[in-house]
Amino acid sequence: MDKKLAFVIEDEPDLATIFSEALRSVGFETKVITFGDVALEELQTSIPAVVVLDLHLPHISGTEVLKQIRADERLSETQVIVATADAALAESIEVNADLVLLKPISFLQLRTLAERLKTFPNQSE
Amino acid sequence: MNTIERLLNVPSTDPDDARHRKLLNIMLIIIGLVTLISIIYINTVPSTGEVEQQDYTYVYLASLGVFIGVLVIFAINRFWSGKAASVLFLLILIVAVAFGDEPKEVVEGRTLIMFAVPIMMASVLLRPYASFATAGLSSVTILIVTQFMPEDTQPNVPGILTLLVLAAVSWLFSRSLENALKEVRTVNAELDQRVERRTQELSQANHQLAEANERLQELDRLKSKFVSMVSHELRTPLNAIQGFAEMIAAGIYGTISPQQEGALERITANTNRLLKIVNDLLDQARIEAGELSVRNAPFYIQDLVDGLEATMDILVGAKGLELKTEITDDIPQPLLGDQHRLQQILVNLTNNALKFTENGYIMVQVYQPDKDHWGINISDTGRGIPKDAQAYIFEPFRQVNGSETSTQKGVGLGLSIVKQLIQLMQGTITLESEIGKGSTFKIVLPILTPNEEEK
Repeated sequence: MDKKLAFVIEDEPDLATIFSEALRSVGFETKVITFGDVALEELQTSIPAVVVLDLHLPHISGTEVLKQIRADERLSETQVIVATADAALAESIEVNADLVLLKPISFLQLRTLAERLKTFPNQSE
Repeated sequence: MNTIERLLNVPSTDPDDARHRKLLNIMLIIIGLVTLISIIYINTVPSTGEVEQQDYTYVYLASLGVFIGVLVIFAINRFWSGKAASVLFLLILIVAVAFGDEPKEVVEGRTLIMFAVPIMMASVLLRPYASFATAGLSSVTILIVTQFMPEDTQPNVPGILTLLVLAAVSWLFSRSLENALKEVRTVNAELDQRVERRTQELSQANHQLAEANERLQELDRLKSKFVSMVSHELRTPLNAIQGFAEMIAAGIYGTISPQQEGALERITANTNRLLKIVNDLLDQARIEAGELSVRNAPFYIQDLVDGLEATMDILVGAKGLELKTEITDDIPQPLLGDQHRLQQILVNLTNNALKFTENGYIMVQVYQPDKDHWGINISDTGRGIPKDAQAYIFEPFRQVNGSETSTQKGVGLGLSIVKQLIQLMQGTITLESEIGKGSTFKIVLPILTPNEEEK
């Protein structure tokens, strides 16, 4: 029951599966969310340790979701990994993200990263 | 100057009429000035004798009359009709000549030649042939004046004939002048038309150019949009293929046989190859669109070299080669540069060396050629690049013929992108190569200071 929670906010189902599997394989409990607005709703009630965030999302953009996470005191310990194909956009939000990964993102790459993040101290209390 | 022009010119739609009226005005002003001067002269000269005083009174009155006449004709010319004014002017001139002297002098003597003045003026002020009418009128006047002479006086036929000849000369003269003027006007009108037509054509061409330009810009926007869309649409499924292959290989969906593992490796390798091509095409499109830029930030050379080794070590090792690296100590660090793009350059060049090297090593050396620059040499012990190929090797989509096996082939963009990236970084890349001994790509880049980075 002390599995850490990870959100995968990604509208491409295949990529969401890969990211989610990478996190799960190192012991995270994962939740896949497709829409930006749904993600914001979910974030009201849950405090994930890690969020993998796509920037091009339907309804509410990933940039907006990232801004909301950073504005929320409760989520101050949440690690945000931005996953995007847009290098210029990635550059502009680098300050707010803990990590920016340029797509394509390999399963092994993300798994290695997640392994490292799991050992980070955070709000698991 | 403007005032005089305004005084002389009479506005008229007919250019001939305007010219005639201006000429008349000039003559009237000259005559007006002469009479004014004589009026002033008479008023200032002290009277010395009875006879002279009488003469002056007569001249004074005549001058005053002429001056008033000039004013009247000037007014008619300006406000009513140039023709009427001219006719009146000529009539007054004839009358003045006819009655300005003794009849004998008019018919046979000194004043006869004075009829030349209205005759010549007529062809200038009215129409060329008006000189004949004036000559006729002058002849009639002479005949009339002859009546005031002693009864046995014969009409001066040679004199009258001379006036007619004068009229003919004047007619010819004025006619050729008017014809020349007409020609000039026709040529001018044609020129005007041509200029107008050309102007129209030019503005039309300009308009078409602007439209074409607009279309080109739109195409450019569409191309950029298309490239970024295609790149996203291609990369997402490629990412998925790569990810699932890795997941299966990692045993996420259960254990797999060695053959399956081998197949998955091939899937991953081919996907990576495809991804590389997509990325190169995208970079090339961005370079062409002028959208590719370098983002400079402080970095350490060791990180750059570590990144290269992490990417290439396995590949180099798989071919039985060695990747050697060497960094000169005295380079000022951190350097400013786009680490991501520098990494791309090094990976591309190392990959290229790897393709053509069967034995030996690939060497990456980082050094400082002078105090303002830093440099990277990538050398290999491969087969070398032929002289003719060295000329085009940096051009996009060009490959050295027959140099690669089918699995080595890309789209021929790697070196072109490298060169263009280096140019974006204000650097240079040169190639030294000898067949059978190997090749060295030499990159020289400026050492940037924070100020230059802000540019």
